[in-house]
Amino acid sequence: MTGSTTDQALDRARVRVEGLARTFSGVPAVRSVSFSVGAGEIHGLCGHNGAGKSTVVKMLSGQLAPDGGRIVIGGEAVELRSRRAAQRVGVALVDQELSVVPALTVLENMLLGDLGVPLINRPRAAAARCRRVLDDMGLGRIQPEQALSTLSIGERQLIEIAKALSQKARLVILDEPTATLSDVECEHVFAAIRRVAATGCSVIFVSHRLSELLELCDNVTVLRDGRDVATTAAKDLSVGQLIVQMLGETPHRLSSARAPDPGLAPALRIEHLDVAGRLTDFTLTARAGYIYGLAGQLGSGASDVLRALAGLHPSATGSVELHGRRIAFRDPVAAARAGLAFVSNDRKSEGLFLDSSLAWNLVATRLPGLGRGGVVRPRRVRATARSLATRSGLPETRLADPVRTLSGGNQQKTFVGRCLHHDDVVVLLLHEPTRGVDIGGRAAIHRLLRQAADSGLVVIFASTELEELLELADVILTMRDGRIVRRYEGDTDGALLLHDMTHRTEIA
Amino acid sequence: MRRSNRWCRVGLAILLLVLLALAVTTNRFLSLDNARAILASTAFVGITAVGATLVMIGGSAVSLATSQTATIAAMLFLATQGLGLPTAVLVALVAGVVLTALQGAAIGFWHANPIVLTIAAGFATTGAASWFSGGTPVYPTAKGYDILNTTPASLPLAVYVLLATTVVAQWILRGTTTGRQLYLVGENRAAARAAGLPVGRLTVIAWAFFGLCVAMTGTFLAAFNTSATVTLGGTLTLDAIAAVLVGGTAIAGGRGSAVRTLGGAVLIAVISDVLLLRGYSTGVQILVKGLLVLAVVIAVHLRSTRGRR
Repeated sequence: MTGSTTDQALDRARVRVEGLARTFSGVPAVRSVSFSVGAGEIHGLCGHNGAGKSTVVKMLSGQLAPDGGRIVIGGEAVELRSRRAAQRVGVALVDQELSVVPALTVLENMLLGDLGVPLINRPRAAAARCRRVLDDMGLGRIQPEQALSTLSIGERQLIEIAKALSQKARLVILDEPTATLSDVECEHVFAAIRRVAATGCSVIFVSHRLSELLELCDNVTVLRDGRDVATTAAKDLSVGQLIVQMLGETPHRLSSARAPDPGLAPALRIEHLDVAGRLTDFTLTARAGYIYGLAGQLGSGASDVLRALAGLHPSATGSVELHGRRIAFRDPVAAARAGLAFVSNDRKSEGLFLDSSLAWNLVATRLPGLGRGGVVRPRRVRATARSLATRSGLPETRLADPVRTLSGGNQQKTFVGRCLHHDDVVVLLLHEPTRGVDIGGRAAIHRLLRQAADSGLVVIFASTELEELLELADVILTMRDGRIVRRYEGDTDGALLLHDMTHRTEIA
Repeated sequence: MRRSNRWCRVGLAILLLVLLALAVTTNRFLSLDNARAILASTAFVGITAVGATLVMIGGSAVSLATSQTATIAAMLFLATQGLGLPTAVLVALVAGVVLTALQGAAIGFWHANPIVLTIAAGFATTGAASWFSGGTPVYPTAKGYDILNTTPASLPLAVYVLLATTVVAQWILRGTTTGRQLYLVGENRAAARAAGLPVGRLTVIAWAFFGLCVAMTGTFLAAFNTSATVTLGGTLTLDAIAAVLVGGTAIAGGRGSAVRTLGGAVLIAVISDVLLLRGYSTGVQILVKGLLVLAVVIAVHLRSTRGRR
């Protein structure tokens, strides 16, 4: 794409990346990536998991030193030795992970790490500026003095984005900023990004949500296997074309049509499940072999259903019966013993053992079953890990590697795969099963879940992604404000679901 | 990760070379008697340190009630000599296990902070020991304990117990379901809990094993000193922690091994020995021990943070 442009035009481009490369212990993560972002341009970056997006972002924001290639900002080659150094040349980053401090107030978080903050604190001016930034993000309801811990995760993410956008940076990088946000919140973020770009700031936007990329960005660079495949103007692209660029093939789509099987008895009966302040009177009778989708935005109670069942809400009340037997669900050990396996939406802090090997992670929850009299049988552990890796579509060659070194998609497959083909697991509970996973990995995880259901498990998942709900679930329950809004079996559409999830309607 | 690993190895190699050079040029270092002395001085702290390794790997940091627990085990051991040696040993070990396992239960099931809890437990244990002994030394009522001071093949019995304890601890950690799960709990407690691993039970097992080791040290100390005062445990608490840390176990849990703790304990003993033979004062010995712990802790920290990049 850049071949025909003259050198002079290239120099005017605010940010230029040339042949960037980085290798991790002999394995190249980024082989050669080049693209340029003009002033005021919103540049999309997307790719399959492991394509090198995160590594490129880390090199641009000073968290990783490149092995080869260079980064040119405003016509000057820069060497970014730390995140602070990157900040000094005008690079602001919104990371995938939250880096705000819950114990501090909104205002204090805004000032934290901001190089523009004067030496002597001027509270009134700072508060006024914070107010303005919040209003710009559509966060009129949040006060600068409010402690961050009183806000939801989505709101915290918005604060972090607002902070980066307010730093008068030359380049703002947003690494999947919308992963935890509702659609309404996304709109505010997009508006804020457009406003920042209009001031002449360059924006790099990394996302798995392809329609979002096409809606927001001017140009989109697709990465595959550590190389840039193409940079195309967003207006000339469709989601289908993007997918072809990312994968080199069209991914398999699951059919959600499913004939009801009258032979399957109700397996899981949840009655009057209550979590104070979060969930009210949740009742569901779930059949084995079916996938149930709980559609709800943050705070709808959808995730609390799963957490309560997994024993992570010790104060939950109600009754849960599995195959006619009441089970104790207020303690995670009891829930696991009863056969409920939980996949959290936070695989890093509440899911995987990142420094342990892939093999140990896969067998982590079934160690007693793999031993004899409490003694581990290493050969059996290895064989089980290998077979689970194969069935979950994970590379067998990486069984000995720490899970930390795997791509996000493979980490998520590890998390899900850990619960599969497990004799004791009867019910699978998944919260955002494909969070931060690309399209290929997503299809693979959906396929795993469908196989699990077909083998006789009850699968219940909570998601905010309409596409995922429609693709994967046999039965969809929409939720809002801690209650079930409606139940859908068979065909429904995204607009209906979104309406239930976001609008206050009276249900007959 | 590789690069920092290499730096760690280089650092360790330099340290060992310097130590070796110092050692061979030190008068009387290279003698069988001195080697025996080193092993003997490793034994008491080593047994406790091997037990503490399990606690640290399991993610409940350290116990600050170690020397107090050893003291009370020692007192019970000496006071019950009249019931015969096996009974006395059993009483001491059971006391150590029960006391320490209770602390483990509070940490594992009720999420007590191990530092705060063991400080409290340490005071309570010292109080109980003073009350039990009436503030005067406890003397044995029979001579049965002398068997513990024997030196088969001219090595103290405690050295054999140390080696056996290390082998057992290493086997528990690597070879049993409990041990493997303990590593997972130590690495990520929240994940272990959400996955339904028996976090509470595993923590209790680790602490109970630790209590057993502390009580063994206590009985050996009692036999060696032939009497027990409230201060018998001395600096055992921090010495054991130092040995575990020098062995490279991560203070936050999830990484480490019993064999490496043994290595840490021996390394500290060798350094102390060299300094002693070269005529340095106890102050210098303690100072060097402190610096060594600091260096290793920094190296371990660097490795784990670099590895995360």
